[in-house]
Amino acid sequence: MAVVAQVSQQSLRAQEKAIADRFTGGFPWPMVIWPFVNTTVWLSLWPLVFAGLLPLWAGFLIALLNLSVSYLPSHDAQHNIIFPEGSRWHWFNEFVGWVSVIPMWIPLSVLRVTHYEHHRHANHPDLDPDYPMAAPTALGGLGKAIVKSQPRHDRYGETLNRLGTPASRKAMLHAMIARVSQYTILAALAWSGHVWEALLLWWLPLKISSVYINFYLSWAPHRPMTQQGRYSDTRAFRSIWGNIASSGMQYHIIHHLYPTIPLYRTPAAFRALRPILVQRGCDLGGM
Amino acid sequence: MRLIGIAFGFGPILFGIGFLAPMIAAILELARLSGPFGLSPIQFGLVLGIVLGAVARRRKTWLW
Repeated sequence: MAVVAQVSQQSLRAQEKAIADRFTGGFPWPMVIWPFVNTTVWLSLWPLVFAGLLPLWAGFLIALLNLSVSYLPSHDAQHNIIFPEGSRWHWFNEFVGWVSVIPMWIPLSVLRVTHYEHHRHANHPDLDPDYPMAAPTALGGLGKAIVKSQPRHDRYGETLNRLGTPASRKAMLHAMIARVSQYTILAALAWSGHVWEALLLWWLPLKISSVYINFYLSWAPHRPMTQQGRYSDTRAFRSIWGNIASSGMQYHIIHHLYPTIPLYRTPAAFRALRPILVQRGCDLGGM
Repeated sequence: MRLIGIAFGFGPILFGIGFLAPMIAAILELARLSGPFGLSPIQFGLVLGIVLGAVARRRKTWLW
């Protein structure tokens, strides 16, 4: 009986992979155009506001949107979706990844090392860098998202230290350079009479958007973060804001199963894989 | 590296001086208020920025 069950499981996995393979590969144009447009718009806000061509309040709202959507293309680049490792064009994958998070001023190297650890140890209380987001309720998740980057709760620096690999050491160096340069720019702006621009075009949008990003990327698809395992550490869910306004995270379960499927193809992949996910007993959140 | 580590340890205080102080001063000026004890807005901003930074450094968080 056990052998029959094992063969059946292997067959299901093969079917699952065959379906998933239909959604990988090809050049993910949206994930390349998106970061260049987004980062260009955010950088343009500064001269426009300084020149008085755009009111600061409007700049704040646009910056808030820019910061909120800047992470996702980098996320695809972290997984080498744009061009795989070994490709002669892989440098372009890295370029997209770095450009995407310019508004957030976080190095791609830091995001990649910590995010891979999240995939390896999703929901592990000690090893998942996103575990500080664990909370049983949405209100609790919101509270955790607000304080996640505070040193008391931050797990990313700790993760880089724990790993001690060449990649993590390099990421740590990048993180330090980023922190020093960001605070230097903010201080230079503030002390030169541009404190409101620094506050409303960068610092405040960064803080607000990080709450949004942590809530939808870390808490919502993994809550309550008590289970581990391929088919139980991530869930599908129905957001009241819809999939786009939730950063495409309704179908995040697909990303954890097949990380090389581009973000914009996860809804279609979910629909194709849904019968297998049901057989696997996944939490599909009524989707 | 040790020096860098020490400098990072004082990060919240440096942030209080570098960013919070001019921000507090700008808020006071916007509200047309002067600092207490005869302090100018920027002097008050520096005092409050350093105090808040020191508290954040000790608590390892600006919030909770």
